[in-house]
Amino acid sequence: MSAIASLFRNDYGADGFRTCSVTGLDIHRSVENYVKLFGLTAVIALAVGGSFAFSVAMTRWEFVGLLDPSSYYTHLSMHAWNLLIFWMVFMEIAVLYVGGPMVLGRKLPLRRLATVGWITMVAGAIGVNASIWLSEAPNEAPLLTAYVPLPVTPWFYGTAIVFLIGATIAAVPFFATIWSETRDSRRTLPLVAFGAFVTGIIAVEAILGGIAAFAYALAWRVDLIASVDPGIYRQLYWIVGHGTQQINLLAMITVWYFLTHVVGGAVVISEKVSRTAFILYLFFINLGAAHHLLVDPGVSAGWRIWNTSYAFYGAAFASMIHAFAIPAGIEAGRRRRGQGGGLFGWLTSAPWKNPVFAATIFSIILFGFLGGITGVVMGQIQVNMTWHNTLATVGHFHATVALGTTLAFFGLVLFVIKTMFRRDFVSDTLATAIPYAYGGAMSVATLMLMYAGILYGVPRRTAEVVRNIPGSEFSFSAAIPIFMIFGVFALLATLSGVLFVVVSVGSLLFGGRLPDGDDGGMLPEGGLHADGGEPVHAVELRGTFALCLIFLGVFVAVYVLNWYLLTQLWAIGA
Amino acid sequence: MSNPLEDPDDDWWNSPVNRRESIWLGIAGAWSLGIFTWMAGFTQFGDQNPIGTTYDVDPDRYQERVGEYKDAAEETEDGLVPPNDDVYVGAMRFNWDGLPAVLEAGREYDIHLGAYDVQHGFSVRPEENLNKQINLQVFPGSEWVIPMTFDEPGTYHVVCNEFCGQGHRTMHGRFTVVEG
Repeated sequence: MSAIASLFRNDYGADGFRTCSVTGLDIHRSVENYVKLFGLTAVIALAVGGSFAFSVAMTRWEFVGLLDPSSYYTHLSMHAWNLLIFWMVFMEIAVLYVGGPMVLGRKLPLRRLATVGWITMVAGAIGVNASIWLSEAPNEAPLLTAYVPLPVTPWFYGTAIVFLIGATIAAVPFFATIWSETRDSRRTLPLVAFGAFVTGIIAVEAILGGIAAFAYALAWRVDLIASVDPGIYRQLYWIVGHGTQQINLLAMITVWYFLTHVVGGAVVISEKVSRTAFILYLFFINLGAAHHLLVDPGVSAGWRIWNTSYAFYGAAFASMIHAFAIPAGIEAGRRRRGQGGGLFGWLTSAPWKNPVFAATIFSIILFGFLGGITGVVMGQIQVNMTWHNTLATVGHFHATVALGTTLAFFGLVLFVIKTMFRRDFVSDTLATAIPYAYGGAMSVATLMLMYAGILYGVPRRTAEVVRNIPGSEFSFSAAIPIFMIFGVFALLATLSGVLFVVVSVGSLLFGGRLPDGDDGGMLPEGGLHADGGEPVHAVELRGTFALCLIFLGVFVAVYVLNWYLLTQLWAIGA
Repeated sequence: MSNPLEDPDDDWWNSPVNRRESIWLGIAGAWSLGIFTWMAGFTQFGDQNPIGTTYDVDPDRYQERVGEYKDAAEETEDGLVPPNDDVYVGAMRFNWDGLPAVLEAGREYDIHLGAYDVQHGFSVRPEENLNKQINLQVFPGSEWVIPMTFDEPGTYHVVCNEFCGQGHRTMHGRFTVVEG
């Protein structure tokens, strides 16, 4: 117990504040301790969900064929809920507390609510896990979606609602901070706080949709209402199902701005443009929930086209803005210090041995190239026919959340270990290896999922189909070589995840305590704030521009390839 | 200079935007509008659109309709030959009612999709070319009528790609497309 208690100890002044040796922020004990609490809880969820990644991947790799269908769907549900929901949402509450009171240099208000929120979330998360694990026939495993009218235990819907309510309660202290900071003054929030604020609003929208969906299904399961409409449930469900992914996206981008600045010396190249991009998200990104309804009966083509495109691609445009602005911030910051010449010298000379920096950059690149492009392409109503419910979809969202968000959050956790827990890594070499090992292995696994889905049409959510479909002579055996690669790299990715947990927990328990004022090797060369240099708008952002053109080239190629495959099909539709 | 952890300068809205960022905004904006226009336009001139007519129908009533269709269809070794251009498919745990069916290449059929119990996924591909495949969602309570014209003769395999219960992976059906 004393080891745990010591994790929550730092040298604070009489007023409860201390100054961070890396960011220079004035940090109050209350904020820091709650960030630690939510962050540690998230890592526990990561460890639980990650261990199910092993059994799920080793079942889909039919060469191993670990689980029977009777347990596969249970394991798949545990994997989905612990990683996609609990790991992410606990981290996101921590991100809100960092982006709100910590960046603004305030205490955490309403701390009792934060505690109640945490307890409610933990109770909900344990309840969801228990309801999935203890579910018995005729109830089926819920997977992530619990689509009605497939019978799922009402305990699942009930405890999922408890978790969502808990997350709402835990977000209240954040909103209270923003409210009290901006109510009486004409203060403009720092960009990170602004991003966190938009994230918070999107989160509340998502949560309301989730409570509506699960309450609707629960009412049917306990016989309050006689029948349930699958189309209405899907519309409500995807407000939270996709909405939570938008929270992940916005939280990740906020973390990108934060970490590229503190460990990479990035500046904001245009407050106007970056904030406008967040505003576009605020208005348009939740329309993307329609991505899941593109091949559903009963929704009009106009409704689907308008929503899937976030109204003329307002949110995709916003993401392309961040895709330029964030690397450009690094380029401008480093060029102004004279760090790195040529086209890409600013990038190649960056602190690649710092795992926080490497994790952040890999998150940006892999999210954009693998997750972002595929998301827009598969989100076109016609192309969606060839992606929907295939493993390619699974590849897409592993690129967005398992590569993008998870890598960014890995970076954030490692950063928090140094700056808030004030611990050295147990091994710098192992810590440095994390983003390379995980990013590399998961990228290959993700690409293989996409290939299996698009080139072989292998369905998702099934225990076996590649080597054998019971009762049929047909199978997807042509995809066996793809799965041989997938299996090996999924295994390596899981092991890299284990490495992250071992280094994190090991550093917390056995890492040496950093002396006061030590930056733990986090600060960029030349300190956080470089003086002088030319104005940001005048810096030649040639490197970023070249990178973005490469990105656009890949985008166009993937787009054209997918449309080519589509037009090779027989004629479908009116 | 601007950093993301501090309040921006008072005139942040009027600070000039870097020239290359402005150019990128133009490119990204044009690409966004371009792919929107292509997607919307393809519903008018394209041949592959997941667009049909949906009717509300009680699942039991839909099962009756599929039954009537099966009675009217001709039974052959390769499956049912539909009596006219309407082809009925009923999804149920863990079987495709109405399949296998025998269709003619080059002829437009109205494929009726509906489910008797839970949600299913109608996923079709020719045997020899697995990358030609489509996926459509099937609901109990909805009858979705989608026209399709198979241009190549051959065997087309149908699997369920929405989790529908423990036996989900065994749900397999077939279209045999013959020369018209």
